[in-house]
Amino acid sequence: MLDPKDLRRPSLSLDRRRLLKGLGATAIGGSFAGVAKAETLHHSVADAPVANATNQIDSVPCLGVHQAGIVNARPANGMVASFDVLAKDAGELETLFRDLTARIAFLTVGGPVPVLDPKLPPADSGLLGPMVRPDNLTITVSLGASLFDERPWLAPLKPKHLQRMTRFSNDALDAEICHGDLTVQICANTQDTTIHALRDIIKASSRQMILKWKQEGNVPVITPGPDGRAESARNFLGFRDGTANPNSSDATEMDRVVWVGPEDGEPVWAVGGSYQVVRIIRNFVERWDRTPFGEQERIIGRTKMSGAPLDRRDGHEFDVPDYAADPEGKATPLDAHIRLANARDEASKAHTILRRPFNYSNGVTRSGQLDQGLLFICYQANLERGFITVQRKLNGEPLEEYLKPVGGGYFYTLPGIRDASDYLGSSLIAAARGA
Amino acid sequence: MRICGLVGATALTLILSSGAFAQEASLDLVEPIAEYKIYVSEQVAKLVEDTTAFTAAVKAGEVDKAKALFAPTRVSYEAIEPIAELFSDLDVSIDSRADDYEKAEADPEFPGFHRIEYGLWEKNSTEGLAPVADKLLADVKALEGRIASLTFPPEKVVGGAAVLMEEVAATKISGEEDRYSHTDLWDFRGNFDGARKIVELVRPLIAAKEADFLKTVDANFNTVDTTLVKYEDGEGYVAYDKLSEDDRKVLAAAVNTLAEDLSTLRGKLGLD
Ligand code: HEM
Ligand SMILES: [Cu+2]
Repeated sequence: MLDPKDLRRPSLSLDRRRLLKGLGATAIGGSFAGVAKAETLHHSVADAPVANATNQIDSVPCLGVHQAGIVNARPANGMVASFDVLAKDAGELETLFRDLTARIAFLTVGGPVPVLDPKLPPADSGLLGPMVRPDNLTITVSLGASLFDERPWLAPLKPKHLQRMTRFSNDALDAEICHGDLTVQICANTQDTTIHALRDIIKASSRQMILKWKQEGNVPVITPGPDGRAESARNFLGFRDGTANPNSSDATEMDRVVWVGPEDGEPVWAVGGSYQVVRIIRNFVERWDRTPFGEQERIIGRTKMSGAPLDRRDGHEFDVPDYAADPEGKATPLDAHIRLANARDEASKAHTILRRPFNYSNGVTRSGQLDQGLLFICYQANLERGFITVQRKLNGEPLEEYLKPVGGGYFYTLPGIRDASDYLGSSLIAAARGA
Repeated sequence: MRICGLVGATALTLILSSGAFAQEASLDLVEPIAEYKIYVSEQVAKLVEDTTAFTAAVKAGEVDKAKALFAPTRVSYEAIEPIAELFSDLDVSIDSRADDYEKAEADPEFPGFHRIEYGLWEKNSTEGLAPVADKLLADVKALEGRIASLTFPPEKVVGGAAVLMEEVAATKISGEEDRYSHTDLWDFRGNFDGARKIVELVRPLIAAKEADFLKTVDANFNTVDTTLVKYEDGEGYVAYDKLSEDDRKVLAAAVNTLAEDLSTLRGKLGLD
């Protein structure tokens, strides 16, 4: 329905964007071609969604060397859905990838919903009305180890670090919310948009894959301060989360930390992809709320109100702690979460990961406690050096008393859809065919 | 039988000559509906016969015999579930599950097939089941009577094919229907046969226009068949927990796809 050329739209000037925004739905209803914008409003994954700064007609381009939804700032809502895939051969897998690409191309750009004979079920769930708005939607597709392991024709192409997630010392993994052949990470300004996208994808791919589990989450929307800069959003422990993330608007840094390059020794098809880690980590919030304030700060390693490091309590969230000046951990305990996660020495640079988490709140446990926690998502070019190494360092940390990782998995995020004639996973399919 | 013989030829000629049957459907559907009614009547007659033997075994305290008769008795019910469900009071008392009751299995209100199933498998006993058996038989006979005097609504008949698949997709593929006996594959057989019967009856009406659609639907039914065949055991099927994870996925996808596709059947026949 949409001209694929529209996907490769140019970046618009701010003025023009405002103008188009003013036109609102009419602009979308008329010609869609020029409306979508390529620029994003915030520049780092860590940044919280900013109140009133984003609009339903904002969109994130889905074409590029890398998939969208990784280095873009998190919108307010995110979700990971995991599927089992049925494809028995390269042809069937290609069909699935092409179908997903087509849905992504439509949903992230938007447009009118097809109107069918009322005697037929509608083409669209209708959650967003007759006109689908992009609403900053991104859909990011990644593959699990089982997809490769269970298919001899695909197994030789498995990324070299991709593996089934195994238990860490504090984990209580629930098989019903772990692993999967394929994940779809869906992020957007509003929950309606993420759910609409999920239902669309399920409907479009029912013959090719089966939903296994999903977890939704969100990031609090922050009103920027007088200086225009928004603070990091808080997680359910009440601490700012995302402060010390690498700068996702620095392309060189992202090449080093996130994206698999030709030098990484991965299968050639995998270049431009990344390792995705999903961890559903329950927080024992009642217990946390009964923990002394000072102890909470020592467990995390930051001040709770401002997020400043403990060795400069009056400083700013983005000030850098000086661990060299604090070898005994008098200010920042040696086993504080942030100190274990990143010792901030030369050696730990190799273990940088890009965190992109969402808070989740699910309901009540059988014991009458809140089932809340963190939908922890991170990306890295090397799974071993990234998440697995960092998590090993965190094993046994004092924070564990308040955490229980219960689900998730390891996945390989496919390289991007290069242009309108390409489709997601085309390099893998070509490799599987021996082309 | 008379109706279908008479109207059949006429309706078919009409369809073939007019070609514009998508919007005005009622006449074309007379024959399939009449035939479907015969099918349902046969199934429900069999259900009454089988339930008579099954409940007799329960009342005689013959646990093994009752266990052997449980799954085959249900197949005919499962095949006509979309019609049985039109009488929701009977559907509840014949086929509801423990989850539908506040105290689950312990709830004195928990009736029907699954109450007896629970006693037979979990308690290995027929104790206290005689009144449940009497009620079940009475309900099944009442169902037969009500079906005999029912005018089959065309949209319910045609929509029934999708309904059967929706039920499998939503609450059966998990193995929760026959959770004590694990005889779910028998139920599946009934559900798939029931859905396929409906497709077969309306096939002539859409064969020309919807060849691709029918091809996909047939392919998915065949997937189901070839998967179920692997689990045949004597007259019936092995326990549901013997179903491999791979085959469960294959069945789940086939069911979801059939539900998607068959949801368009009513519209394709011009029914609201
Ligand atoms: C529910 C679980 C978790 C909570 C509540 C949590 C909380 C926090 C908080 C409050 C910070 C400080 C703010 C910031 O720099 O972003 C932080 C930093 C960090 N966390 Fe976590 N975290 C959790 C799980 C994890 C996991 C599973 C990992 C990786 C294995 C991890 C790795 C890191 C890293 C690398 C930093 C930055 C450290 C730095 O560079 O100073 N966190 N976390
Ligand atoms: Cu049933």
